[in-house]
Amino acid sequence: MHPRTARRGLRAALVGILAAFTLLVTTGPAQAAVTAPHHASNATAATAAGAATPKTDSAALQGVSPAKTVHADVKGKKFTIATDTTFAPFEFRKSGQLRGIDMDLLQAIAKKEGFTVDVQSLGFQAALSAVTSNQADGVIAGMSITDERKQTFDFSDPYFDSGVQMAILANDDSIKGYEDLKGKTVVAKSGSEGLAEAQKLSKQYDFKVKALDQSATMYETVKAGTAVAVFDDYPVLAYGIAQGNGLKVVTDKIPGGQYGFAVKKGKNAELLAAFNDGLKELKDSGEYQKILDTYLADPSAQSSAKANIFQLVGESWPALSEGLWNTVRITVVSFIIALILGLIFGFMKISTSRILRGIASVYVAIFRGTPVLVWAFLFYFGLPQITGLKGNIFWAGVATLALNAGAYLTEIIRGGLQAVDPGQMEASRSLGLTWGRSMRRVVVPQAVKISTPAIINQLVITLKDSSLLLTIGFAELLYQAQQIYSENFRTTEMLIIVGVMYFVVITLLTWLANAVDKRVNK
Amino acid sequence: MSTATENTAPIIDVTDLRKAFGSNEVLKGIDLQVARGEVVSLIGPSGSGKSTILRCLNKLETPTSGTVVVDGFQLTDPKVDINQVRRHIGMVFQHFNLFPNMSVIENVMLGPVETGKSNKADARKQAAALLERVGLAEKADARPAQLSGGQKQRVAIARALAMEPQIMLFDEATSALDPEMVGEVLAVIRELAGSGMTLVLVTHEMGFAREVCDRVVFLSDGVICEQGKPEDVFGNPQQERTKEFLSKVL
Repeated sequence: MHPRTARRGLRAALVGILAAFTLLVTTGPAQAAVTAPHHASNATAATAAGAATPKTDSAALQGVSPAKTVHADVKGKKFTIATDTTFAPFEFRKSGQLRGIDMDLLQAIAKKEGFTVDVQSLGFQAALSAVTSNQADGVIAGMSITDERKQTFDFSDPYFDSGVQMAILANDDSIKGYEDLKGKTVVAKSGSEGLAEAQKLSKQYDFKVKALDQSATMYETVKAGTAVAVFDDYPVLAYGIAQGNGLKVVTDKIPGGQYGFAVKKGKNAELLAAFNDGLKELKDSGEYQKILDTYLADPSAQSSAKANIFQLVGESWPALSEGLWNTVRITVVSFIIALILGLIFGFMKISTSRILRGIASVYVAIFRGTPVLVWAFLFYFGLPQITGLKGNIFWAGVATLALNAGAYLTEIIRGGLQAVDPGQMEASRSLGLTWGRSMRRVVVPQAVKISTPAIINQLVITLKDSSLLLTIGFAELLYQAQQIYSENFRTTEMLIIVGVMYFVVITLLTWLANAVDKRVNK
Repeated sequence: MSTATENTAPIIDVTDLRKAFGSNEVLKGIDLQVARGEVVSLIGPSGSGKSTILRCLNKLETPTSGTVVVDGFQLTDPKVDINQVRRHIGMVFQHFNLFPNMSVIENVMLGPVETGKSNKADARKQAAALLERVGLAEKADARPAQLSGGQKQRVAIARALAMEPQIMLFDEATSALDPEMVGEVLAVIRELAGSGMTLVLVTHEMGFAREVCDRVVFLSDGVICEQGKPEDVFGNPQQERTKEFLSKVL
């Protein structure tokens, strides 16, 4: 190819990158996509969530009995409520909608009390962090009311009497009671009542307890044989078994826990009061029991014939394609910023100034020497607490990925620049070109060509790293898959599906990058 | 600038030039004048400092001490814009250093276009003429990688000439070439020598130095050991070191 054409190609590529960046940043809500349905219309969300009993719900929701107790303090206000991602039947995702006992109660109470909610589906620990860091006004996540939590939170009246139950593999005949657990390992959810109960029993019956973060993962652990039993909240376990998760119960429910809605201690008192008020009304009207029955009564009636993997793809496609779009969007935006960082720090690394070299080295050392997860949490939960500003999940994710990839790209670009024969710079300078022009016209084009394979490699790594952002609740591809398997317990199939999706996207992206490389670097 | 216009003053005037790399002193006090239009070759064993002198003449190396005045510009003066001075000094390297990301004609055009000396159209015309002069007109759109060593070096000479320099520096321009390609490059240099341009060559081609040069400078261990007309230095060397060196290379 003629060199001038190649330069035009480089210019066209730069324009294309700029256009892609603008497009990706401006399209779609900058917030986590999970909140979108709730942004749209509170009424629609509530109706959809209560779809199982539409007649009674809508009648109640439209306020047949006059709302005499409406709290003026909360009326018309919008509250951000954090919740778990994976706690069926309290919260789970079905056909893209967030559903469950918590969700139906929350929406019904909000409707009664005249406020609206923006539900953030974050994961249990992240939801608690969101409230303590003022990212959210309240949390409803099947959370047990405990004295320890009362140190940090103010709880509503209990809205659900729970309890903990143990489950084992459906075909396991060796365990008939706690005494058969001796020397074995069980799993329970981090920070939950189930964990506390399991630990209490473990002393008496001499077994080991391992804490995990999600119900679906715990059930998979039991199915895989790594643990023999799981201690989980009774309703969750009952719902999971009804969904055909391959477990059974052999012991009685350990009575105890009560679930409560919570706000940060000393804050949002009017929201708490409104919740209590609405809850009482729902209980009095019988609507409360209807919501519970939707999810808990006769669970066997809900379990239907298992969908095959193609039906599964079809059912989950809306959520997965949304996740895929978020994955690609955050990867491309982060990577463009990372390239700019890499260029700046890469040049600083080869500069003659010790200060500039030092700054670049410190940057690389920090971001290459720390896990991506640490920064994701710092940027999304830590920074808002320091600055007092509300965090934005998209930009927190971009900052995390861009700074991490930027550190690697700094080294890639430095290596590329240093790999160009010094004679090239000398020849250019001997013609009277300045250092800057020599860099731009002679050294950088050759360095780019040398670095391109490593840059493409880093792009692929960044795309895969973006899945780590599910921990702060960014609705990327793997997050969406978790949402789905936490509800339908088809964990393995869902992971295979997203694995294939990642593979296809990365392969396509690599082809595209190689095609650009061929055009630009000929 | 006044001295630059006086044809009697030397175009290159080096006084007590010293250059050390760390503790290793490569040049130990060089005094060298080159007159306008003179063709001078620097000879001597490897490590004697020939190339370092050449690289100090366009400040690819910064002298440790001493003064270098080229075409009226005091190179060691920080106020002098070295980029301006370099436009009057062409340099040809042992390993050609052509830009592999550009075509042959773009290599030749780069200097005039990027320094603002010519617009693209003029630079292209001039580059085509220069490639014609070095016998490579038909290679204008080829890539450097497609050329032989001799062809590459002729392109490199054309690239340096495109800046229309007063002085050309040749740093072992034929050392990296296969023997059968040395002739074509020397022919181009010979033609330049005949055109009245000032040339300073570091070379191992003693026959060529004898044929085209006005003066031969023999260096040994960072000092000028002996210099004079080629027939004197080659035919009747005065210094033991010179004799010893010539006995090995001739």
